[in-house]
Amino acid sequence: MFWTRFDPTRPDVRFWARLLSPRGIVWCEMVLDTGSSRTVLDERLLARAGYDLIATPKVTVTTASGRVEAKVVTVRQISALGISADNFPVLAMPLSQPLGVDGLLGLDFLRRRNLLCNFDKGILLTLPFSRNFLHRLALSAQIFSAL
Amino acid sequence: MDEVRPEPIEQIRRRHEGEWLLIKVTSHDENGLPKEGILLFHSPDREAVYEAVDAAFKRGENELLTCFAGPLVPEGWEVVLSVLDEV
Repeated sequence: MFWTRFDPTRPDVRFWARLLSPRGIVWCEMVLDTGSSRTVLDERLLARAGYDLIATPKVTVTTASGRVEAKVVTVRQISALGISADNFPVLAMPLSQPLGVDGLLGLDFLRRRNLLCNFDKGILLTLPFSRNFLHRLALSAQIFSAL
Repeated sequence: MDEVRPEPIEQIRRRHEGEWLLIKVTSHDENGLPKEGILLFHSPDREAVYEAVDAAFKRGENELLTCFAGPLVPEGWEVVLSVLDEV
């Protein structure tokens, strides 16, 4: 089980993500976005981290403000909230400066584990999927102790 | 010249509110998350910090951190996210 604290008074839930790039490790701040089907990273950060954005496929995506084109970049590894994914495709798009984060962590990444968010206390848990009754019981005990 | 000592990431953020930061990570907490670092560059301009990422890698740094030192959203703004694949 992985758990982390966030500030429940803020309008978003943001946390550190570790990006393994061709040039080294980059820690960046991402926002939890369960309304996104895909994980997004700022294209300028990806380019500076050594990813090639020229020879990458493009897709059209729908955002809250309309349709835009995004590049699909397969990152070597991305880790956040106790979850790690190798060779993971992310959307490379320019993110608005006032947003104040380098990326959005979407459902394609989050669906790898159970996600439990306590918005009252500002606690976010990720847990493996339960395999059987005893495992479920053990997970329940962990959730209880964390909350 | 004085040696620059690592300091807690949150301390650096408090000192540079409203700016984008580039930090060299020097230690991690028990969860493996960045705990302390050395501030390499700061600017209100995000692009300038990303350029500094490029320069830091060229100098041989291998573990960097970028972040915005709040506030998240300027007064009078709201944020609406979500990115969906087109079917």
